[in-house]
Amino acid sequence: MTVNTETPQSAQVKFVDRLAQLPWWFILILLLSVILAYQFASNETYQQLFRRILNGVLVTLSITAVAYSMAIFIGLCAGLGRISKNIFIFNLATLYVQIVRGIPMLVQIFYWAFVIFPLAITFFNWVGGAMTPFLGADNALAKIKPSDINLYWAVVLALAFAYGGYEAETFRAGIESIGKGQMEAARSLGMSYFQAMRYIILPQAIRRVLPPLSNDLISMLKDSSLASVLGVRDITQEARLYASTTFRYIEAYNSLAFIYLILTLSLSLVTRWIETRWKQL
Amino acid sequence: MNSAPNQAIIQVQDVHKHFGSVHALRGVTARVDKGEVLVIIGPSGCGKSTLLRSINGLEYIDSGRILVDNNTIDAKHQNINAVRAEVGMVFQQFNLFPHLTVLENLTMAQIQVRKRAKAESIDIAHDLLKKVRIPEKINMYPGQLSGGQQQRVAIARALAMNPKVMLFDEPTSALDPEMINEVLDVMLDLARDGMTMLVVSHEMGFARNAASRVIFMDAGSIVAEGTPQDMFDNPTNDRMKQFLSKILH
Repeated sequence: MTVNTETPQSAQVKFVDRLAQLPWWFILILLLSVILAYQFASNETYQQLFRRILNGVLVTLSITAVAYSMAIFIGLCAGLGRISKNIFIFNLATLYVQIVRGIPMLVQIFYWAFVIFPLAITFFNWVGGAMTPFLGADNALAKIKPSDINLYWAVVLALAFAYGGYEAETFRAGIESIGKGQMEAARSLGMSYFQAMRYIILPQAIRRVLPPLSNDLISMLKDSSLASVLGVRDITQEARLYASTTFRYIEAYNSLAFIYLILTLSLSLVTRWIETRWKQL
Repeated sequence: MNSAPNQAIIQVQDVHKHFGSVHALRGVTARVDKGEVLVIIGPSGCGKSTLLRSINGLEYIDSGRILVDNNTIDAKHQNINAVRAEVGMVFQQFNLFPHLTVLENLTMAQIQVRKRAKAESIDIAHDLLKKVRIPEKINMYPGQLSGGQQQRVAIARALAMNPKVMLFDEPTSALDPEMINEVLDVMLDLARDGMTMLVVSHEMGFARNAASRVIFMDAGSIVAEGTPQDMFDNPTNDRMKQFLSKILH
């Protein structure tokens, strides 16, 4: 009896439950993208804009890819330094991490572009000057001008070193989360410290830190928009340029925000796929 | 196993070790001959694990000297890799590498440390898994095995390096009761094959069956030493009597 009266109710509850579980946020974004895709197709302003911004996509992606690879490498070295028993290496790594984490990203970009690069140019010119007897008065080193250096690299290096600091702490935490017994077992088999790290500890640690690492990749993609302050023509700069010449601010920033959203969402889908494939153990 | 010539393979000479303010080893001196099975017993915190871990350099000793097959370990900790290559270690918590299969657990150090060819290391791994009686688990991951099976893989992993001595640090303490015997059987096999073994364990049955000597440690020193019969049936030392009455109920 009770079954009869309850069945329609529970079916209703199930239906509501299922509705509640749908990824509404994703459906909304899809809806939005359909509207925008329609705009891109029909509205000439958006068509122009889209073409302009697409010019910058490669720059945005390459800044992110290059800086992220460097950041992973720097972070791994600094992370190993942070757990080193050598006082000098430990302090050097900690100094780097503390400096880099305490300065805003924007300021670091300015610092690379307007302090480190000019100083480096002055230094190389001085070296070139000193080498005149050997290389001749107009050797390449003596003639480096600020305009010879692409500010693209200031952004890449700033992002790489800043995120290297964050990755260092991520790697350190990951390595420390692996039980002491693993290192002891590896060493007791006669493996050196570096063999044990390379074959036993890091493969396990990296699997554990994959989620924060992919978070940082997405953060970096967003932070790469700061390239625009140096006039590097990433998608943000392209959108700004378009807006300031046409006064189409609404369209420009609509498209820009939307393209970032597409990029970050697809990136997070990719990283989530990698994570689930690696997680199996 | 007692017929082997009296050739010392491990000599521990007046070893001291502190952990902060705790004096964990207070001038321990001991000798293990080739082919001997030495069982070390004693209350928790008496330094028996520390002694074992010092012998393959997992703990740094403060003073004294440990000779392993003519390689010296002292406070400076030189030669440590030469020593470790001759000494196999089995841990209480197994410490298998969870990201590697059973086969890879057995071949990794053979390839990286002993520089064996991959095919050769796989052959050795097959033989050893047969010896510890789980050849069928070769392609599984440690997480898929029971505790007893994991510990047997850990024994095989240590044996793959052809050690001259095997150290066992409470190898059955983390196991469920029904799995203890499968591990002890493998250890008995090893003892019968003439392997030199140092075993920290409270398994009296194993000590009676396999040990050539039993050492009783208390508060960082060796207090009593003798054959298992003498030690368990007619203990003369008071602390040893007290300890036995606690663990034998």
